[in-house]
Amino acid sequence: MRLLDIFLLSLSHVKKSRMRSWLTIIGVIIGVASVVAIISIGQGMQENMQERLGNFGADIITVIPGYFRATGVHSEMHTDRSVSTSSSINLTDKDYKVVKQVPGVMYVNGIVSGKADIVYDNEKTVVSVTGVDTSVWRLMDTTGIDEGRYLQTGDSNSIVVGYNLAYGTFLQPVTLNRPLTVGGKNFRVVGILKQSGGFGGGSDTAVYMPAEMARGVITEKVANNQFTSMVIKASDASLVESIKDDIDQKLMSSRQVNPRTKDFTVIASALIREQMSGVTQTLSLFLSAIAAVSLLVGAIGIANTMFMSVMERTKQIGLLKAMGAGEREIMKLFLIEAGMFGFVGGIIGVVFGSAISLLIPFLGVQALGFGGDMRATITAETILFALGFSVVIGILSGIIPARYAARMRPVDAIRYDQ
Amino acid sequence: MNIIELEDVWKIYRIGEVEIPALRGLSLKVKPGEFVAVMGPSGSGKSTAMNMIGCLDIPTKGRVLLEGQDIAALSEIELARIRGKKIGFVFQSHNLYPTLTTLENVQLPMRIHEFSEVQIWDRSEELLQLVGLSDRANHYPSQLSGGQSQRVAIARALSTYPLLLLADEPTGNLDTEAGGEVLDIFAQLNAQGVTVVMITHDEKIAERANKIVRMIDGALAS
Ligand SMILES: Nc1ncnc2c1ncn2[C@@H]1O[C@H](COP(=O)(O)OP(=O)(O)OP(=O)(O)O)[C@@H](O)[C@H]1O
Ligand SMILES: [Mg+2]
Repeated sequence: MRLLDIFLLSLSHVKKSRMRSWLTIIGVIIGVASVVAIISIGQGMQENMQERLGNFGADIITVIPGYFRATGVHSEMHTDRSVSTSSSINLTDKDYKVVKQVPGVMYVNGIVSGKADIVYDNEKTVVSVTGVDTSVWRLMDTTGIDEGRYLQTGDSNSIVVGYNLAYGTFLQPVTLNRPLTVGGKNFRVVGILKQSGGFGGGSDTAVYMPAEMARGVITEKVANNQFTSMVIKASDASLVESIKDDIDQKLMSSRQVNPRTKDFTVIASALIREQMSGVTQTLSLFLSAIAAVSLLVGAIGIANTMFMSVMERTKQIGLLKAMGAGEREIMKLFLIEAGMFGFVGGIIGVVFGSAISLLIPFLGVQALGFGGDMRATITAETILFALGFSVVIGILSGIIPARYAARMRPVDAIRYDQ
Repeated sequence: MNIIELEDVWKIYRIGEVEIPALRGLSLKVKPGEFVAVMGPSGSGKSTAMNMIGCLDIPTKGRVLLEGQDIAALSEIELARIRGKKIGFVFQSHNLYPTLTTLENVQLPMRIHEFSEVQIWDRSEELLQLVGLSDRANHYPSQLSGGQSQRVAIARALSTYPLLLLADEPTGNLDTEAGGEVLDIFAQLNAQGVTVVMITHDEKIAERANKIVRMIDGALAS
């Protein structure tokens, strides 16, 4: 029997039991749609991360007071603050000098950050203030300037604002050269940063000012020789790990602490990046597992329908065999039918899955604390994979019923229900 | 040469421990152009004999020769092909493929045997005309009466130019009138040279045949 004729015969069955065919197909649609949506969202998330982390320098090392132990690759920070006296909570000039001496360290940015009231255009709110070392900040920042300029040596009452602070916080957008008050002092806006999504070493809702000024405006007390953190740029990204260890050792001896009483933490951004992508990968794996289960349910649906139709059609199978059809033809007849369920379900599933993925950004779902909006990336690979996969699933779930049908002996098939 | 020949055919069904001998040494010959009626009480093995004659099943013991060839020597697919081509079946009921139209049903065996498209269409239209159902070509089996269904089944059985038309109680489910029409077609075909083997309960029907084979307990009644 020609393949086209077998196909048309399969089609005649699918068309005749329309209701059941659709119910079977719906099972596949749900499975495929969730697979497509989940893969697309997973990819979107990865890309989002990559982009954001991409400008988060791999050559950046951060020192913060307090001891945090990062365990495993899954970025859960087990806080284990062992020291909490206010005098030692901040880093000092001395630490700054120690760090600066470490071979491979290019720049050190001593940062003073905290909260302060901000008043702009008669609107008042609380803002994160990041006091930076104006001589190195512009050399280290990877966020980029959207408008205006970075702070430079000699600036005192100048301020740079994060993108979201400029455009989202106040009724009137903050523009260049506009005056505003932070912690009771007057500043002039000289620059607006690009949107970073929380990476690139900056916050989109913070204001940046010289560290000396920050000490005077923030509500936290930070003495003149103290910093709340230090950001270090290594001369070579490949040396980050060893430089980080070096800094760790030198600071431990200068601060006279041992690994148990340690009161600071040195973090390499590269590590964070690894941990972050570890999280998204685990997450997509988990979501994919859920999607796989729904596909499996679809496959079982096909197998079930196929078994039912084999049972119902014993008589027809007998007829076909009496008329001269062989095992292979009966097998093909049922496999094509199962494959059709998979294919049609696959196509509609891809459409639905893509629609869901495309709707994601409009729903404005926040991506699990990564700061940015969630988005989905649908690739041709995903679509082809989903389509191919659903046809294969259809055929696979049809194999056992089809073989059962093919092996029926014509006499038994004809006798059935007589 | 005989179209079909059964030589001392035994068929023993086994259900668990129990053996049911449905055929016990049945021998018979069907010659070209004959109209054979196979008769016998219920359970005497008529349908089992038809399975043997139609090469739908292989005997437990004995030989079945189709045009002189022992079917035991054939593979599953070879047997299916030869059987499908050389023997046209008409069963008691459920003869038609329910998802196909009348016309498509008649075409089905030709499609299985990969006839050319031209042949398929010419022959199927010609056969529907022969059984008087051209106006039902696009109807589905569920829209046909029992008699019409059997006539379509005959048209279909004839489509691959078989050597033998084999029917198991083709009028069993029909009333006298519809049954009569169906019988008329068989008789008419036989008159045109088609060999017919028909299983029946009905003496009146058997009278139309030119040879009657009587069975009892799986063998010929002597
Ligand atoms: N597949 C089978 N398995 C077991 N026993 C069977 C099978 N087919 C037939 N038989 C038995 O073989 C015997 C002959 O059956 P068969 O169907 O050939 O009779 P029949 O003459 O056609 O009867 P009827 O006139 O009622 O159709 C019966 O006893 C039947 O129960
Ligand atoms: Mg019978």
